[in-house]
Amino acid sequence: MPHTPPSSRIPAIFKRPLKAIRPVWAARAMHKSAVEVLKQPVPEDTVTASFGKFISELKPQHLSPVVLHRSKRMVLDSIGVGLIGSTTDVFELALQHCQNMYAPGDTSSVYGHRGIRLSPILAAFVNGVATHSMDFDDTWHPATHPSGAVLPAVLALSDMMPANNKPSGLDFLLAFNVGIEIQGRLLRFSNEAHNIPKRFHPPSVVGTMGSAAACARLLSLDPIQSSHALAIAASLAGAPMANAATQSKPLHIGNASRLGLEAALLASRGLEASPLVLDAVAGVAGFSAFYEDYVPQPLQSPGNDSHMFLLEEQDIGFKRFPAHLGMHWVADAAASVHKILVGVGPGTVSPAQVEDILLRVPKSKYINRPFPESDHEARHSFQFNACTALLDGEVTVQSFTPAAMSRPDLHALLSRVRLEHPNDNPANFNRMYGEVQLTLVGGDTVKGRCNTFYGHWRNPLSNDSLRKKFRSNAEVVLPSEKVERLIEVVEDLDQLRDCRNLLSQLQ
Amino acid sequence: FEGVFVNQGKNSLTDGVINRSKRMMLDTLGVGLLGTRTAVFNKALKYSQLFTSRERSSVWGQSDIILPPHYAAFVNGIAVHSMDFDDTWHPATHPSGAVLPALLALAETLPSQPSGLDLLLAFNVGIEVQGRLMRFSKEAYNIPERFHPPSVVGVMGSAAASAKLLGLSPEQCIHALAIAASSAGAPLANAATQTKPLHIGNAARRGLEAARLAQIGLKGNPAILDLDRGLGVYYKDYSPSAMADSAVRAYKWILEDQDVAFKRIPAHLGMHWVVDAALAAREKLQNAVGKFDLSQIRHVTLRVPPSKYVNCPLPATEHQARHSFQFNACTALLDNKVTVASFGDAQIGRSALKELLGKVSLETPEDNLPSFDKMYCEVEIATHQGPSYTARCDTFYGHWRKPLTLKHLVDKFSVNASSVLCTEGVEGVIDVIGNIERVADCSILGSYLRMTSNQEHLDRMRIL
Repeated sequence: MPHTPPSSRIPAIFKRPLKAIRPVWAARAMHKSAVEVLKQPVPEDTVTASFGKFISELKPQHLSPVVLHRSKRMVLDSIGVGLIGSTTDVFELALQHCQNMYAPGDTSSVYGHRGIRLSPILAAFVNGVATHSMDFDDTWHPATHPSGAVLPAVLALSDMMPANNKPSGLDFLLAFNVGIEIQGRLLRFSNEAHNIPKRFHPPSVVGTMGSAAACARLLSLDPIQSSHALAIAASLAGAPMANAATQSKPLHIGNASRLGLEAALLASRGLEASPLVLDAVAGVAGFSAFYEDYVPQPLQSPGNDSHMFLLEEQDIGFKRFPAHLGMHWVADAAASVHKILVGVGPGTVSPAQVEDILLRVPKSKYINRPFPESDHEARHSFQFNACTALLDGEVTVQSFTPAAMSRPDLHALLSRVRLEHPNDNPANFNRMYGEVQLTLVGGDTVKGRCNTFYGHWRNPLSNDSLRKKFRSNAEVVLPSEKVERLIEVVEDLDQLRDCRNLLSQLQ
Repeated sequence: FEGVFVNQGKNSLTDGVINRSKRMMLDTLGVGLLGTRTAVFNKALKYSQLFTSRERSSVWGQSDIILPPHYAAFVNGIAVHSMDFDDTWHPATHPSGAVLPALLALAETLPSQPSGLDLLLAFNVGIEVQGRLMRFSKEAYNIPERFHPPSVVGVMGSAAASAKLLGLSPEQCIHALAIAASSAGAPLANAATQTKPLHIGNAARRGLEAARLAQIGLKGNPAILDLDRGLGVYYKDYSPSAMADSAVRAYKWILEDQDVAFKRIPAHLGMHWVVDAALAAREKLQNAVGKFDLSQIRHVTLRVPPSKYVNCPLPATEHQARHSFQFNACTALLDNKVTVASFGDAQIGRSALKELLGKVSLETPEDNLPSFDKMYCEVEIATHQGPSYTARCDTFYGHWRKPLTLKHLVDKFSVNASSVLCTEGVEGVIDVIGNIERVADCSILGSYLRMTSNQEHLDRMRIL
């Protein structure tokens, strides 16, 4: 069936092309820097233009079976964590803010809240906040949380499109994958991006760009408008790491989603920005402003063949419990220690038995927290997650409730923890490990080590495990029939003629 | 930090600060009103009209359009920076455009209307915070290369000012700043494009938003200003220092020591030096030869500080033209003035101008530092007859070392505001701002800003 682009209330704007600069220097010698400026690249040769072209020209047939499969898993997981996230305090606060500041819009649905709809931008915002509210959402390599920045915006935009012209499931998946792919490509422009971040929180940098790209695709913007959408988004990107492990962190994803959508909408109305935003221009920073080292590469347009999506080469990590990815290694290592101890003695681990707990982990300030005080801090604490797993044998959603966090046994263990940062343990999600070494009263030591936790891209969650996670999350806010229907709809998303079937199940 | 602005009472504002900040408010309103006739403003307005809310705030120069407060702050902020006509400070940023639109939008939503003095105090808090933050980094003292400063410190200033007007507690103020930091930072590459004005619009709205979120209890990192991975991410060198204890009676405002520059031309600040130098060189030529004739000119050399984003030999858009040493120098030579009208498409496209542009070369002497406090511009006109005429500008009229007289500031405002408001509105604003510290209810300002002229109603859709 031929696909017609969604009829726009947003007219395509004709844009006059950039003029090539004529060499105008005089016969006498000119200062070198002035000469450099005159040699402007022809628009089509720029990295920025190549991205605009890619976004605009990618077609559904370019999605391979592997990419379809992996991205559907991401969509399912993202919806599930968003649904459970809609029960958190930070979500409530964000929703209240939107409802106070803006009258109820009736366009786009809000995860898990029947009867509440917001304008698309705000729906993208709150649903993005929900997705990241418990740090339960997916993680990629190089490090970012790709889906939470993109899915809420694509959902909100789909709700906005006229009833007689909703995107098909395939259009939806295509836009989603464009948003993921763009993030992956941008992360590869910098070596700094390969390690656990220190300066800017990656979702706030590449997530905004991914959202803009995905929305540009769904709006069927032309190559030039698509590149302007990216450039406008760049001026909305960037949040510092200091707000990680605080209640504001989820807003990084919420904002990435909504601001990317906003950038695409502004571009569709004809707003223009820098045509060189992704290129490296000495003396004038574009997207490069967010990185210490930056080497951009143009993106090949797919043409008639398939495109090699990064998702095909590099899978995603899904979390088994709601905490920073680094916690999963120490939790698995500590769980194996717990198993050994419990197997030998009484059914629980008692602090009285424990003399010392040594964690060998990579060096990263924002996840080194001896005594976390809020759930946000606890989700970013090697110490907390290791001790919880030592005590309980696992870390779960419930581990971060105030009751669980205030247990005296837990505090007793926490006070016995010390950290070491071995040289061979880099702050890199592809290469790190977690080791837990318990010294018992009496002198015996028990050791556990995890190189690859279950859920990591090297050891992906099975489809069963992923659905189990989804059910457990979604059932907190939706009835089981809706939960099962969602699983089916996402599974068949690429066959869906009209994505309304997906949109209607979310609340 | 937070103690400072929570505890600042109204009597901590000195006469010097009151005087200077009122000038800033007037100038900002004028350039904002003029800016509501630009294409970028219209795009942002259309976009913003997608949203409605119970709370309503005015759009400057529009008698009957209201928007949710955040979007009013957004579009009015864009208007202020749309023509690069707004104030500039040292270290470099455009301080007022990020703060005033947010405050006025917020004021309209408060259950009891703030007084003029409340507004003035909040405004100065927003300016002061920006000044303090910029002094945490040496990088900030030079013409920027990476992040556009209003997008870094402007949003923080807006958050601080909004927090002040809302009467937030010290702890909430800290969180307002922390939340705002996650909304900071736009790259310089979008300067000289249509998106640059959004940097100020977004700074205003997102700072306001941060304050509102803090008000309902959202928390961020309370050490946001202390950490390298906090506000420090926007700078290569970052050394924060605590603000002086506000309990001490006489607080020393930065604005007292360091004034702002107001622009005479709607273009990047650097252009003002080159224009004054070009006008002076032109006059020398005219005095020597008796009359000024373009055909006499063989070559023009501009000696300017190194700054890529304002080095544009052949601008194609108004945004590029406002960021081009070459364009502004040549316009000055051609027309003997540079005005608002110089940046229209027709003016940019003149063949005489392009021909002259072809004769221009740039030099960046070692002693010409990329700092608005230290730079100079020199224009040398070489003639066919032989002699050269050179003039240099160290301090243009309007710079903080040579401030605009009150008369010229008010004239600038009147000319700008009259393009949109009727006479009663123009004079009303001048009157209210002039006496703001005595105004009991600042909503009167909003009503003047909505008094459009009859001509305006007819010309509503005209785009600059």
